[in-house]
Amino acid sequence: MKKVAITLNINNRDVDMLVEPRKLLSDAIREDARLTGTHVGCEHGVCGACTVLVDGKPQRSCLTFAVQTQGKAITTIEAVKGNNDGYSALQQALHEEHGLQCGFCTPGIIVTFEAYLKENTNPTEDEIRDVLSGNLCRCTGYQNIIRAIQKAAAVMRGETPGAAK
Amino acid sequence: MEHTKGKNDFTALGKRMPRTEDHRLLTGHGRYIDDIDVPGALHACFIRSPYAHASILSINSTEAEDMPGVIGIFTGKDLAEWTTSLRMAPSIEGVKPVEMTTLPIDKVRFHGDLVACIVATDRYIAEDALELVEVDYEPLDPVTNMFKAQDAGSALVDETLDTNLVSHQTFATPDVEKVMAGTDRMIETNFSEHRQTHLPIETRGIIAEWDAGREHLRIHVGTQAAHPYRTAIAGRMKLSESQVTVISPDVGGGFGQKIALYREELTVAALARHLKCAVRWREDRFENLLAASHAREDWVRTRAAVDENGKLKALSLEIVEDFGGYCFYPANYLARVIAMILSGPYKLDHYAFDVKVVLTNKCGNGPMRAPMAITSWIMEGTMDAIARDLNLDPVDVRRINMIREDEFPYQMASGETLEDINPFETMEKGLSIIGYEELRSAQAADRERGIYRGIGICNVVESTTYGSKFYKSAGIPGSGHESAWVKIEPSGAVRGAVGISATGQGYETAFAQAIAEGLGVDPLEVKIEIGNTDIAPYGMGSRGARGGTAGGGTAYLAGLEAQKKVLAIAAKMLALNTADQLCMKEGKVWRCIKDDWTETELTLADIARTAYLDPTKLPDGMEPGLEVHKAYDPPPMTYSNSSHFCQVSVNINTGEVTFDRYLIVENCGTVINPLIVEGQQHGATIMGISGTLFEHVVYDENGQNLTGSLADYLIPTAADVPELEIVHMHTPNKRTPAGIKGMAEGGVMGAIGAVSNAVSDALAPFGITIDKHPITPDALRALLRNKS
Repeated sequence: MKKVAITLNINNRDVDMLVEPRKLLSDAIREDARLTGTHVGCEHGVCGACTVLVDGKPQRSCLTFAVQTQGKAITTIEAVKGNNDGYSALQQALHEEHGLQCGFCTPGIIVTFEAYLKENTNPTEDEIRDVLSGNLCRCTGYQNIIRAIQKAAAVMRGETPGAAK
Repeated sequence: MEHTKGKNDFTALGKRMPRTEDHRLLTGHGRYIDDIDVPGALHACFIRSPYAHASILSINSTEAEDMPGVIGIFTGKDLAEWTTSLRMAPSIEGVKPVEMTTLPIDKVRFHGDLVACIVATDRYIAEDALELVEVDYEPLDPVTNMFKAQDAGSALVDETLDTNLVSHQTFATPDVEKVMAGTDRMIETNFSEHRQTHLPIETRGIIAEWDAGREHLRIHVGTQAAHPYRTAIAGRMKLSESQVTVISPDVGGGFGQKIALYREELTVAALARHLKCAVRWREDRFENLLAASHAREDWVRTRAAVDENGKLKALSLEIVEDFGGYCFYPANYLARVIAMILSGPYKLDHYAFDVKVVLTNKCGNGPMRAPMAITSWIMEGTMDAIARDLNLDPVDVRRINMIREDEFPYQMASGETLEDINPFETMEKGLSIIGYEELRSAQAADRERGIYRGIGICNVVESTTYGSKFYKSAGIPGSGHESAWVKIEPSGAVRGAVGISATGQGYETAFAQAIAEGLGVDPLEVKIEIGNTDIAPYGMGSRGARGGTAGGGTAYLAGLEAQKKVLAIAAKMLALNTADQLCMKEGKVWRCIKDDWTETELTLADIARTAYLDPTKLPDGMEPGLEVHKAYDPPPMTYSNSSHFCQVSVNINTGEVTFDRYLIVENCGTVINPLIVEGQQHGATIMGISGTLFEHVVYDENGQNLTGSLADYLIPTAADVPELEIVHMHTPNKRTPAGIKGMAEGGVMGAIGAVSNAVSDALAPFGITIDKHPITPDALRALLRNKS
């Protein structure tokens, strides 16, 4: 298949690449931009591990062709950080609450909730469970991820989170 | 053996510290197989059988081979020249010897079985080429039912055998038949556990690099057992172990799926050698669901002889297990353990079992987190059946049968010894927390209003660790030992390595805590290196909840040994005759004078400097340097226990099961890191709930796998699972280092039994008892329709 030259804006950086039109965004990010934090778990849009932000909205990069995302701003896990290049509130809370085990699904969860917690600063537990249902995790049973998201939301609102529920 | 330091309480063990491995995983800098860039690596993909059972008549790959970018297409005949077959012939009574080639040559045995391997410069090209290969098959009768598979006229999955019954073992205590015959009440209960698969979110994958100059094979593969894996692949490729390095980097989950050396991986490694380059393979999810490894398809019947009070007098167990088309493990490996530890926390003098394992045209089975999990459902389901039959409260039946504190150590009828557990205490504690009596009253009131709620109890005795003696007595080949080293560098930097490999359990943090405890330093000062066979010492890998006792225990012992050497040097440097009154604490040497511990000026760095750079100051006869190696073989088995309490509501109109409460009271002995332990318990329990309510590998009668995507093979999302409450009642194991027991599988066991019993309890007014998994809304509606 004939390759085409495209430029993707990933994490505020323009990356030129020569790709077949059928190349998945997930593969372009991982292979051509060499950003391997975005993981591929199912290649059919169910597990959510490959989630990235496209113009600030979570999107399955395994269900998107790279050529479709020219001119859009793509954000991956590598761009998520807090002040002074430290952890974001969500990364910090996931660390403290043991919200990850093997870590393979974690980047997809982080980018999803970096976006969601901006949209909904004070989500209920049911809302968190509902949004998190787009990301499969086989290790944690989700409980500590939910705690971490609640904690991160509280920190982002400027509250001091109490002891873990 | 020195089990505790004696001088101080634990400081590093038991510390609730966040994991050190998190940093790379939270920032997108983990290194899983596909993240490792090997320039010029070729990509493999596999042609798989669309039939469950068929002869391979011919493979025409001419058109595919001509495609630009295709390097070659390789078949079973090619691989047979470069690799040996896997012969599984343990000298165990009743287990038939079997053998499999690296790739099938003449016939395929399941939907998704391997036919040939395509190597190309790019994964997309390899998959394009796959479409152009023409394989001519002659379909054979599929064997898809483990009962019919045993019929005389059944087609044979493996023609080298005269039957599909690949393993059959029996056991009986001397008087069991007499007691059974003499009983008034015999209660028969059935349990049917369906086929499942492990579903790690990272599928399988491998990168094999052949260094033609050094004649050395370097493999990156996600494995739970890097050393046994290296031994296996070296043997099958006729290489020496010294010619193979296996590196297991970050691994996206295993759950038992990443133990065996799989045929795809061996093929890729052999092709790397043949083509003198690097070859890589990434399994896609469809392949993972169809053809990686499946688990658990068992039919079970118990017959319980009881007296009028519900006291168990004798028990017989029948198991028939569907093992699939190939034996990647000895066929008795899983079912035999179920039979050996079945009775769990209950007293049982007279016991018999009959365990049959059958080959069918399905994906080969392997151990999945808690391969013996069904034991809890069987025993607790049997207890509930006794209560129903005699119209007793299920709690009272458990009380009358349970082993009490003063009866431990308790020798089970199968010969295994239970010790250092407290099942009666965890059950009573849980009953009081949930307010059992009040719940029963509320349940009766709810039923009047047409609300069907159920309470399920499951008391778990979790076999953990599996020492070498257990394997020997169970007739399973293998060792249960583990090994570790600790190296203190000239600067005082501490490195540790353990032979076991991690797949998300937080071993880097936990083993740092264990070594730190033994050595007397801060856990953050210990750097752990695992998963590389060139660095870590030979160990048996991660399985059977052995990470804590075998991995952590060995690391702790290695730390203690290192401290001993450090203190011997310190004594000399302090001009003392003995190190008896010295200890290490936070990287410094402390001295006891008249029962008073005070810090000396010596640090670990001072001692390391002496050991490496000023060895003439060492005690007479001591070798320079500061390294220790320790191997440890745990007791035949260690046991943890827990009591699970599950309250559900069943919507009788939709068949939906929702959770009202889920409580676990558990005892896993000395805890290395409470944060990690709770995480393991959450994960295991939800995996048990998932298996009971959601997951199901479905084959149709032709052996077609109907669950090849995550839209068909369901695992729960965050919206489907309960919040778990966990209460701890830890008692240490007296025979293991630091009293560690292990715990990462018991949650599965508890959930299977507790959820099943809760749903049965909810539907008791309809006379419905759950004897089959998964308990899906469809399945429940079918049961309810039949009753109305």
